[in-house]
Amino acid sequence: MSYYAPTSLGDVWPLLAEGEARVVAGGTDLFPTQGDGPPPSALLDISRVDGLRGIDHDDDGWRIGGATTWSDIVAAPLPPAFDGLKAAALQVGSVQIQNVGTLAGNLCNASPAADGVPPLLTLEAEVALTSAGGTRRLTLTNFLRGVRQTALVPGELLTALHIPRQPTGALSSFVKLGSRRYLVISIAMVAAQIWLDEAGRIGGVRVAVGACSPVARRLFGLEQSLIGLRPSDLVSFSMASDALDTLSPIDDVRGSAEYRRAAVERLIRDALGQAVERSDG
Amino acid sequence: MPDVSMVVNGEARSGDVEGRTLLVDFLREGLGLTGTHVGCDTSQCGACVVHVDGQAVKSCTIFALEADRAEVTTIEGIAGPDGSLSPMQKSFRDHHGLQCGFCTPGMVMTALKLLENNAKPSEAEVREGLKGNFCRCTGYQNIVRTILAASGQDIPVTSVE
Repeated sequence: MSYYAPTSLGDVWPLLAEGEARVVAGGTDLFPTQGDGPPPSALLDISRVDGLRGIDHDDDGWRIGGATTWSDIVAAPLPPAFDGLKAAALQVGSVQIQNVGTLAGNLCNASPAADGVPPLLTLEAEVALTSAGGTRRLTLTNFLRGVRQTALVPGELLTALHIPRQPTGALSSFVKLGSRRYLVISIAMVAAQIWLDEAGRIGGVRVAVGACSPVARRLFGLEQSLIGLRPSDLVSFSMASDALDTLSPIDDVRGSAEYRRAAVERLIRDALGQAVERSDG
Repeated sequence: MPDVSMVVNGEARSGDVEGRTLLVDFLREGLGLTGTHVGCDTSQCGACVVHVDGQAVKSCTIFALEADRAEVTTIEGIAGPDGSLSPMQKSFRDHHGLQCGFCTPGMVMTALKLLENNAKPSEAEVREGLKGNFCRCTGYQNIVRTILAASGQDIPVTSVE
């Protein structure tokens, strides 16, 4: 197996163009899926590429470089709109995995249970896909095409995530259900973001659910139904019978579709409650 | 085969590895540093934790070449040059923080970073910090006490029935 670790993007393109190399950043998803099978013929390690790691901020929002680790995100000074993303980062594997694994890798791996996706959906993140010919930007929804499927074409690299400016006062949360507390793949998870209007009522909400459809989804109908409620209503609001209809949970080793559907309703209430709780602090 | 070189426990070390060689295999087989253990080989158990450029990493989850030119510390680099135990190792001994000892190298390496990032953790924070390290003997209780004691905090006396 060949192993390449270029230090500049210019050196990445010829290696990508050959089409043989599997791109890795931390590699933490590669090892468990590898099993005893033969390794890829070549690995292209992008973790040393100059300028790919780190978080920048300007008037338009935030840029998270493609080699930025979960631990980098936890340590970064980010506003409360990112609390959900940070909470997700802290629940990916263990600290030793968070030190190596990357958010961009989580997206490219395109698991339905990718912990990074629901919070990024509530942040309305976009991805920058760069090739020797230039960069295109896609919304996360357009990037994630299905189970283990992305819009990446040969020769492209996910170089950054772009997160636009967030609503003033936005609070956020992330709730994950696994078979135990630690080191688990999600059975279901919910990310929420809430901001209040001047009257202290809910001015806007974003809710995204993961591991209950091929790609995590925002629940736009539910979001609309919550606008104008008081924060205290979130505990007991009546959820429309069709609120979860866009989800399509499956039966698998981690849980049944029926269980997931029941759990998600509870997780949504928990996530909304946790997000809004932060407004009192 | 490509060369790899790194500073391991303060000494410059190098060797030939295959692209697919894991860091833990280079440390154990290439350098003879067998204090770092392999428990599960699937990045769960944490017996293989070492420090790479100051961060705790599972050495069965990165390739040796990913640590090229890095500073690596293994359990062999923790005791003093004369073999005297470091305070953390001493705390594991004093508080019976091990039974079979297989997980201990990874526990010590994780515990050191845990206290470096949080000098006075609560019991809950210690347990959270150990989520990537499995122990099948102790039930964790004495490991948690070990780490709390190593942080200079009082630990509750365990009652013996």
